[in-house]
Amino acid sequence: MPRETSQEIDAAAAAWAARIDSGLLSNEEEKQLETWMAADDRRRGAFMRMRAVALHSERAKALGTSYDPEDFVVPSELPQPTVTRRRMLWMGGSAVAACAVVAAGLSVGMGAGATVYDTRRGEVRVITLEDGTVITLNTSSRIKVKYAKERRLVRLEEGEALFDVAKDKARPFIVEAGSTAVRAVGTSFTVKRIASKPVEILVREGVIEVTRPNSVKPMRMAANTRITAPESNAQLSPVAIAPEEVTREIAWKSGQIAFEGETLANAAEAFGRYSDTRIIIDDPAVGREEITGLFTANDPVSFARAAAASLELRAVVGPGEVRLSR
Amino acid sequence: MHSTDDRARWLAREILPHEGALRAWLSRKPIVGLDIDDIVQETYARLSNATSIDNIRDPRSYMFSTAYSVILTYLRRSRVVAMHSLAQFENEEFVIDEPSPEAIAVDRDELYRLGQAIAELPPRIREVFILRRVEELSSREIAQKLGVSTKTVENQMAAAFQRLAKKLGRGGKHPAGASRDESQGNRNAHATRDQSGD
Repeated sequence: MPRETSQEIDAAAAAWAARIDSGLLSNEEEKQLETWMAADDRRRGAFMRMRAVALHSERAKALGTSYDPEDFVVPSELPQPTVTRRRMLWMGGSAVAACAVVAAGLSVGMGAGATVYDTRRGEVRVITLEDGTVITLNTSSRIKVKYAKERRLVRLEEGEALFDVAKDKARPFIVEAGSTAVRAVGTSFTVKRIASKPVEILVREGVIEVTRPNSVKPMRMAANTRITAPESNAQLSPVAIAPEEVTREIAWKSGQIAFEGETLANAAEAFGRYSDTRIIIDDPAVGREEITGLFTANDPVSFARAAAASLELRAVVGPGEVRLSR
Repeated sequence: MHSTDDRARWLAREILPHEGALRAWLSRKPIVGLDIDDIVQETYARLSNATSIDNIRDPRSYMFSTAYSVILTYLRRSRVVAMHSLAQFENEEFVIDEPSPEAIAVDRDELYRLGQAIAELPPRIREVFILRRVEELSSREIAQKLGVSTKTVENQMAAAFQRLAKKLGRGGKHPAGASRDESQGNRNAHATRDQSGD
């Protein structure tokens, strides 16, 4: 006799939770519930889980009587006058190559059904998707996710994200950042797209394929490589990097920044992404001094003090800033 | 049901938000014959049966350890034990990704998340749910207002709970339109028919 499925149990558990929600159970009903649960541990767990959900949903009252579901649905963007092949892809069009040409700078709508995730400055956020893929969003970032039958699509609009992609042979996982597209072949990698800078991709584990507007064929990148992809049509080649460097580049995942012989000027700029407190270095010579270490990402003042101590500088804290000088 | 409700509220507050992370972790360790959904249900059962939860300082870790224990129990009792699965599990250093406080996987706006989950309910179910939870009408009042039986109202609420459980248990807003929504948690070959349709 086939074992009862978890879905069947959930359905029955939900029915019980709804019964209780309607009103108190009679003694007879309570006994029935106990008997039902006693037959299989999963039933008890499923029931308590449904009851938890039912109680948790009482918070909906706080949404207020003017609650309008439309407010919570991601609106689809207005269509562009010229249909590009990429737009057809996002709108679920015919099967085109995963990385079609996109005119630089065109903002392409993903159509209805895309989910937006974003982070504030200094915030790191972990998102688990249905297929088990985990996306870690770094500070000041924004992504759009749309899963469909044939493919899993993510657009990195701004910022930096680490993708730990769950294997799914039926559906490739594709990240688009500007005019660069990354296709994951089961794997862990980051993509960075900050304002007007080139897109940076770093592979931690597994293999990815990178496609650019003028690519004849996708370029494969394996673990411990990095590539910088400007919007221009320059040829790209991946650079091998040490695993320690990969670890440093992902230190933000734990709320930290790691430097290895980095100039103070670059370090100050890196901190600028995580906090409103600016590190200001007026003297270019001081900016060229190098620092090594692991620091808390949203604490530029501690960093400045540590840098001052080790490089014999002065750190002066003012409103919204800390100044480093000789 | 007083003490059961207390425990259920604790589960809602301390365990449900981490269910998504647990499912992701489990999905990387597929075990023949054991569904993620089954593991999750058994985990909730053990968490419900535990005598006291007062001294648990880290519910998330506790949930993960419990799930791990469920798997070990299954492997030991299973008549067809793939010896290497059991050995792998027992020898493997049990590591949970411990998030630092900065990277905690709890959505910063639970109410927004709930609002979105409700927005995604099918219209009739959503209507009943809102009348019950937001307007706080009783089942009978809702039945009268909509011209249906109280049994129908109960069925709609049950359907609402099932769908909310799926969304909330995934740990946050999830992509709409994924066609494999219903059996996503199942890594097993069982053909299971989804029962959650309205």
